[in-house]
Amino acid sequence: MISRKMLVGTIAAAVMTAGMASGAMAETTIGVVAKIGGIPWFNAMEAGIEQEGKARGVDAFMVGPTSADPALQVRAIEDLIARKVDVIGVVPNDAKVLEPVLQKARDAGIIVLTHESTASVNKNYDFELVSAKDLGEAHAKLLAKTTECKGGYAVYVGGLTVPAHNAWADAAVAWLDENCPDMKQVADRFGVAESVDDSRNTTLDLIRAHDDLTGILAFGSQGPVGAARAVEERGLIGKVAVVGLFSAGQGRKLVHSGAITGGYVWSPLEAGRVFVALGKMLAEGGTVSDGDELPLLGKIRLEGSNIFANMPLALSKDTVDGLAEMGL
Amino acid sequence: MRTLLQQFRRLGSAGELVAMVGVLVASILLFGAIAPGFYAGPVFSSMAFQLPELGLLALAMFVPIISGGLNLSVTYSANISGLLAAFFVKAFLVHAGWVSLPVALAIGLSSGLAIGFAIGIIVAYVGAHPILVSLGMMILLRGLGEWATRGGDISGMPDVFATIGYGTVLGVPVPMIVFLIAVAATAYLMGRTKEGFAIYMVGSTPAAAEYSGIDVKKTLVLVYSVSGMLTGLAGILMLARFNSVRVGHGDSYLLITILACFLAGANPFGGFGKVLPLAVALMSLQVIASGMNLMGASQHLATAAWGAFLILIMAIRAPFLRQNK
Repeated sequence: MISRKMLVGTIAAAVMTAGMASGAMAETTIGVVAKIGGIPWFNAMEAGIEQEGKARGVDAFMVGPTSADPALQVRAIEDLIARKVDVIGVVPNDAKVLEPVLQKARDAGIIVLTHESTASVNKNYDFELVSAKDLGEAHAKLLAKTTECKGGYAVYVGGLTVPAHNAWADAAVAWLDENCPDMKQVADRFGVAESVDDSRNTTLDLIRAHDDLTGILAFGSQGPVGAARAVEERGLIGKVAVVGLFSAGQGRKLVHSGAITGGYVWSPLEAGRVFVALGKMLAEGGTVSDGDELPLLGKIRLEGSNIFANMPLALSKDTVDGLAEMGL
Repeated sequence: MRTLLQQFRRLGSAGELVAMVGVLVASILLFGAIAPGFYAGPVFSSMAFQLPELGLLALAMFVPIISGGLNLSVTYSANISGLLAAFFVKAFLVHAGWVSLPVALAIGLSSGLAIGFAIGIIVAYVGAHPILVSLGMMILLRGLGEWATRGGDISGMPDVFATIGYGTVLGVPVPMIVFLIAVAATAYLMGRTKEGFAIYMVGSTPAAAEYSGIDVKKTLVLVYSVSGMLTGLAGILMLARFNSVRVGHGDSYLLITILACFLAGANPFGGFGKVLPLAVALMSLQVIASGMNLMGASQHLATAAWGAFLILIMAIRAPFLRQNK
């Protein structure tokens, strides 16, 4: 029995030492629960959390569940409550599943911050680095600048029922209608932007059908890549602009060849830093109101308990390589 | 060492329990020493809140394993049971207060039972391997569930569900009480009834069981029906914990339930294993997970620790098993 215990102890201890957190307890403790650990997006967020934690003297760390199952996020939050952290941050996989446990956290006097989850109820604040409207408009402005408000354009989304993509598209189209009355949308929205092939084929068809096509707005990770390939194949670089959000690693070559004009996302690294900055501010009794200048976020808009900043991250020739190296 | 082994042999299945308790105590002592603030009420309460949903699913996996089979549909069966209950409550009983709870429980248990019964019938009378049957059922349930809900969720249960998911009685979390009752009932069925005895016999040597007058087919139907009912209970508990149900909640638990059963000494080929060591093994897994969370270790590392723990226990157990032959 003794030898058995010792064996368990030795091996477990060996496994643990690698994962030991710093022993020193800082003044404020902030735990952020990611959707899933070990993927580039949340690795970047973790880097931001740790970087900002050091800068502000806060004990800040990220908990990354091993799968995107919301049940695992509930467990992680239970443990954070038991650990008596001051602030819990979370990027929910499923906002509704987390409501009861976040309620429990708030009952325990813990400040709750969410990100990418404006619908969450049991939170002090949700913060969005860029609102759907601002993100859509940023793309519209880029398209308008590139095409000088001339010709026709088409809009791709990941699917006609994907709420975020369609909200961005709505905002972009509304801005173009108002500010570029000469530009016309040549066809209804296409739900092709999660497939490179579909986006490419649709773009080839559109080029054939519409001589005046000058731009593609693609919201969906594969849309700009597929559209840009079609533009490249037809030798139309510089004549048909492709604007949208895409993964930097996948699109960097096309950006450098000019086939993709550019686009905007938001930065997980910045989001990680904001969790810490905002969490520390609130833990020290700070308050948020509409129009405030907040650390890192700049001037914000407050709607209910949702904080909207306007800090889109440009995907352009200058930024795409750095982002690709981070794996984004 | 030899006398120690012999002592353990004499203890028989009680030895397994003593060993698992020893492992649990060892892991508590370990994390008490290295994880800051481990010995605190809230930490143990947090563990007691987290354990039951996985625990019920592990029980649902345990009974088929003893019979020499496997039930891969446990998580989706729990989802579907929870979905049906949530759908009914949402449609008719949103303002019915506490009445909604027993109704939801009845719907959850009976739909779990129906799913398990169907698996049992196919396993027993078609003779297909339980892995294939339950895998088919798992995919069927997932597909049906996704289709019926369009990938969405049903949420907004009456408040009484929160008192089950997050309430305590005399400081003990309600989910833990539910789990302990299920453990007691399963332990009674497996250890004290002739049906339970038949399950062990069928798992051990089906042919011998058949010739000794045990109705193997009926026993198999019973096995999967019990397993199904336990998943139904797990589904209701998850509904109470999450105030919401969606196909796919908890699907990361599937392999962990199998891990827990083997950790507790259930024989992969059936016939051997006891319920109480399983309950204790689950507690050890929870201590490891929460202890590592408390230290701020990576969740991936916690998973690795679970795997290392299983391999370690298997290695330690091997000489005992050899002695038994």
